[in-house]
This record gives sequence, structure tokens and C-alpha cells, in this order.
Amino acid sequence: MLSMFKTLVSQKELTEASIDPILQKYKDNLISKNVASEIATKLISAVKNKLVGQTIGTFSSIKKAVFNGLEESLVQILTPRRRVDILRDVLHAKGEGRPYSITFCGVNGVGKSTNLAKICFWLVENGFRIMIAACDTFRAGAVEQLKTHVHRINGVHADSVKLFEQGYGKDPATIAMHAISAARDQGYDVCLIDTAGRMQDNEPLMRALAKLIAINRPDAVLFVGEALVGNDAIDQLTKFNKSLANHSQSNNPRLIDGIVLSKFDTIDDKVGAAISMTYTTGQPIVFIGTGQTYKDLNSLNPKAVVNLLLR
Amino acid sequence: MVLADLGRKLTTALRSLGNSPVINEDVLKKCLKDVQSALLEADVNIKLVKQLTDGVKKQIDLDNIGTGLNKRRVIQTAVYKELCRICDPGVKPWKPTKGRSSVIMFVGLQGSGKTTSCIKLAYHYQKKGWKCAVVCADTFRAGAYDQVKQNCTKARIPFYGSLTEPDPAVIAYDGVETFKKEKFDIIIVDTSGRHKQEDSLFEEMLQVNNAVEPDNIIFVMDASIGQACESQAKAFKDQVDVGSVIITKLDSHAKGGGALSAIAATQSPIVFIGTGEHIDELEPFETTKFIRKLLNMGDIEGLIDK
Ligand SMILES: Nc1nc2c(ncn2[C@@H]2O[C@H](COP(=O)(O)OP(=O)(O)OP(=O)(O)O)[C@@H](O)[C@H]2O)c(=O)[nH]1
Ligand SMILES: Nc1nc2c(ncn2[C@@H]2O[C@H](COP(=O)(O)OP(=O)(O)OP(=O)(O)O)[C@@H](O)[C@H]2O)c(=O)[nH]1
Ligand SMILES: [Mg+2]
Ligand SMILES: [Mg+2]
Repeated sequence: MLSMFKTLVSQKELTEASIDPILQKYKDNLISKNVASEIATKLISAVKNKLVGQTIGTFSSIKKAVFNGLEESLVQILTPRRRVDILRDVLHAKGEGRPYSITFCGVNGVGKSTNLAKICFWLVENGFRIMIAACDTFRAGAVEQLKTHVHRINGVHADSVKLFEQGYGKDPATIAMHAISAARDQGYDVCLIDTAGRMQDNEPLMRALAKLIAINRPDAVLFVGEALVGNDAIDQLTKFNKSLANHSQSNNPRLIDGIVLSKFDTIDDKVGAAISMTYTTGQPIVFIGTGQTYKDLNSLNPKAVVNLLLR
Repeated sequence: MVLADLGRKLTTALRSLGNSPVINEDVLKKCLKDVQSALLEADVNIKLVKQLTDGVKKQIDLDNIGTGLNKRRVIQTAVYKELCRICDPGVKPWKPTKGRSSVIMFVGLQGSGKTTSCIKLAYHYQKKGWKCAVVCADTFRAGAYDQVKQNCTKARIPFYGSLTEPDPAVIAYDGVETFKKEKFDIIIVDTSGRHKQEDSLFEEMLQVNNAVEPDNIIFVMDASIGQACESQAKAFKDQVDVGSVIITKLDSHAKGGGALSAIAATQSPIVFIGTGEHIDELEPFETTKFIRKLLNMGDIEGLIDK
């Protein structure tokens, strides 16, 4: 007790030597919670730079100062500079007499179609009518998957959703274009565009996605990434954005506007992908997927995530 | 190549030993630190990484292993050995036998690539002359049966499923019995995606398991998975008798180190890897060859005492 008290009163300025061991422990902890290791490293060294040289009050501990510094940085990463308010924007587009459109993209199997269906259900519950564009014309069963969701949602709210599909093999960009104009003609408020999963390094497929987005200029481009993903999160987001920029042939390309973080229910306290993704893009996590039913769609609570990361 | 990135970084870390005039505690520490970050960046479980480097340290007594070249040799060998220990569960992979029906059940997390891999595997064996069929026991995922139906139809693989029966165990049993009667060699059972946090889903997996009594259970894992891999893989293994692992989506630049954690957690060998969405993009996998490739072991291999 006495010796602890001594260190408390004798330390006033934070030095590299005094905070480094504590920060290293936090770094390992962040990595074990699934923050990409490269990002954990950068984050820790930024916090170190911020703290070294700071003086702390006689009665506060170094540990506490490090904790606070790290907590502040993490909260900052997760707190969006820009809010994506879909309901407001849908109403705005409605005022302009046009459907609001969202494109969902991401690598294979992350939950694009399922979370599209959840968001559709949420929009329907908010009184909007939705057109879904079946632009995954590649993966077997993709069209029937959406058909099933449309059928189920209409079973709860009659006549609220319609599927625009042209089967398999056709050009997704063209289908999206026709779907949006059909939505306009038929008075639908929102057009949700499902796309096929693709690996970030698959040049032809990335080009095709960029084309779909460049031609149709959706109001929002949502990247769906799963909370299970490790270090690949950085590569996925960086390359999706890069492809959208490089292949758009526009000075003002549409890039990723926000993130849907899926499968958040499968990772216990290993919530680090939330940090990896927001750190990489600077874009907000608009929704988190927390299960496989329509109700399992939530918004992210940055404070709660940070608490888990620092525990 | 699979895990090429990791391989390159590990080789670089080990090479750095060759660049330093003396090898002392500090040089070793730095080298092991580089090895650690290479593994962490590749998504290898952090506990495994610690185990590995501790294992290496334990093998090495810097003061008593001579000088220069010999020191380097000992360190490199130690790293190689520890990696092998993690990657090789020491279990012979299951193989089907002619003249009897074998049932293979696929399990794994949501979206990991089970359905795609089921069909790829059926296609793989079919091409080698085995009589194969697929049973779709996923009653949960929207469009799951259509996915199996469309893929199997294209590849002329017989399939079984139902749009009305809600119990996957019933479908699985009926499907397997049907194909057994018709003397199929390999009957592959596809199941829904699930995760350990939802008990009812794990209970369902056990029921399907008990209904079909599989000869082999394959755990399918996405190459991009991070630190959650270990606890999920372990939970699957605890519930059913996982015997093999398939790693999918290795056509991306995913780091794939989660794969190593999956082997450790399930004590099962990786038998195939998925390298694309098409039916023929499945490659047989051998662990030892893989590690050698991984470490670019040309120069180290000669150093290992056989
Ligand atoms: N536990 C859990 N499962 C989810 C969640 N979101 C999606 N899934 C499941 O993940 C699997 C894949 O979902 P899909 O929506 O088909 O994924 P996708 O990205 O459209 O897949 P592709 O179109 O094939 O690339 C399905 O089994 C979904 O039920 C989630 O938030 N939690
Ligand atoms: N690029 C690539 N994609 C793959 C590979 N294996 C599967 N996929 C894709 O991953 C997505 C999910 O595959 P599925 O086979 O539907 O996954 P699943 O595990 O059956 O999904 P659930 O039944 O919903 O749990 C699909 O888009 C597949 O085409 C692979 O090796 N490489
Ligand atoms: Mg989809
Ligand atoms: Mg499936």
C-alpha cells in the first residue's frame, strides 16, 4: 500500500519508459479482441505520442492515464464525423419525387442479402414501399433467396415490397438501372440493390461493381463486412474503395458511404473488426447485424464496444 | 499462393539472423518478435503465437549451441518444428472406401462456404468415378434448397431436399436412406450455418448428426476469419466429432492464418482448400507440403535432421 502510494505521488510526467509496458499489454489485448494487428500497432503508437510528456495530477495513476488516453482514441475512431440518416434522406428523395437507392457490396458470404432484407423490413416498418433489385445474377439461389424474403415481408405488410429480377447471367448494372426506373414509375420510395459477393482482388468483378455504381450513382453505397473478419478487413475496404475510385471514370466517384457490420452476434467480446473497419475508411458503421431474423438489426454503441475492447 | 504473405515475412525474419554478425539474446528477441508479428498479421490466434515463440525459446540455449552458423541453424529449425507442431494434428485424414456408402456431413459458421464446398466435393469425387449425391438439410437459409438444386443440376449430381419439411434431421435421414438404398458411394449432407452462441442451432446440429451418423464431419472455415476462429472451431468440435477441415476463399489475399488456429482447435487436418466460386476450384491439401511452401523452405529444409 505504502509503495503504491509512493509511485502515485512521485510520478508526474508520463515517460515512454513508464507507459510502454502498459501500452504493450493493451496492444496484445486489442489484437486478441480481433483488432487488426497493424491497426493496433498504429493506434498504440499514436496514443503513446499523445501521452508522452503529459503531466498527470499527483493522485492519479499512470495506468489510469493510459486507460483514459486509449479510451478517448477508440471512442473517437468509432464516433462518426458524419451521420448517415437513411430515414431522413429517404424522405428528402421522396420530396424530390424520386426513389432513394442503396447498393450493398462486399466479399462473399458476409451477409449482404440477409442484411438487405433486414433493412428492407425496417424501412417497411417505417412506412416506405421498397423495390429490391436482384443484381446478384451469378450465385446459384441468389434470386430465390430474395424472392423468399419479399414473400415473407409481404406476408407481414401486404404489398410493401417488390422484387425486380431478370434471372441469372444478365448484366447487373443494367438490371439496377431498370429497377431504379421501375421504382420511380411505380411509386416505390426506396430501391435496394443486392450485388454478388466478390473478392477484393478479383479485377473483372471489381470492375463490374464499379460500373454498376458509376452508372446508377446510388444515394448510398453500403459495404457489408462481417465482425468475424481479421486482418483482411483492411485489405477488403481499401481495395473496394480503390476500385470504385479507379474504375469509375469520373472526377467525383461514388465511394463507400457506410458500413454494415454483420454477424456481431457470433464474436462474444472480440469486437475489434469495428475498429479495423472504421479506422481504415473513416466511414461510420450504419448498422450492425446481430442475428438472422429481421429484428436483428441495430446501431452500434461506441461506448459499449470500447468497454469490451479495454476489458 | 496460400499464406504467401506470411511465408515471406517469416523467411525475412529468419534471414535477418543471417545478417547480424553475432547472435545474442537481443538478436534472437528481435527475430522472434518479427516472427510474432508475421503470425499475428496473418490472423493466427494470439495464444498460439505466444505458445509458438515460447516453444522456440525453450528449445534454444544460446550459450550452449556453438556460434554463428550453428546458432542460426538451431533457431531456424526450432521455428520450423514449432510451426509443424501447430499445423500437423498428427491424424490421418479420413478417406472413403469403395463398396460401401459413406456419409459426409458439413458444418460451419454462416456463410463460410459449406454449400458451395459440398457441391465442389461431390464433383471432385464424381470425376474420380465415385457415385455421389448431396442432401440439403438446410431448412433455414432463404433459397438454400434452390442453391443446391441449381448447382447440382448443372453438374449432374443427384440431390435430395424438401421445401415443405421443416425438420432438417428428418430431411437428412430420408435423404441419406434414399441414397444408401441406391448404393451411392458418397452421400454429402449440407447443413445450415450456425454459431456457438445460439444453443438451439447447436442442438439442431447434434440432431442431424444423430440422424445420419456421418462417417466424417467436415468443418468449413472462411480464410479471412480472425481471432474468433479458435473458440468457434472448438465449440463445433465439442458438439460433434469434426474430423476434417476445409478452408474456403483462399483465392483472396486473405491471410489464412486462422486456418492454423482451426487445426489446433479441432485437432483435424485440412483436407481441401477452396480457391474460387466455381465448382472445380477445390484443391486437395497436404499440411507438410504446405508448411514447406509456406516457409519457402528450400534453404532451411536441408538443415532439418530427418
Ligand atoms: N449470426 C448471424 N448470421 C448472419 C447475419 N447476417 C447474415 N447472416 C447469415 O450469413 C449467411 C450468409 O448471408 P447472405 O446474406 O446470404 O450473405 P451474402 O453476403 O449475400 O452472400 P453472397 O451473396 O453469397 O456473397 C446466411 O446464413 C445468413 O443467415 C448476422 O448478423 N448474424
Ligand atoms: N471466392 C470464393 N468464394 C467462395 C468460395 N467458397 C464459397 N464461396 C462463396 O461464398 C459465398 C457463401 O457460400 P455458401 O456456400 O453459400 O456458404 P454457406 O456456408 O453454405 O452459407 P450458409 O448456408 O448461409 O451458412 C457464396 O457467394 C459462394 O460463392 C471460395 O473458395 N472462393
Ligand atoms: Mg447475397
Ligand atoms: Mg449453405
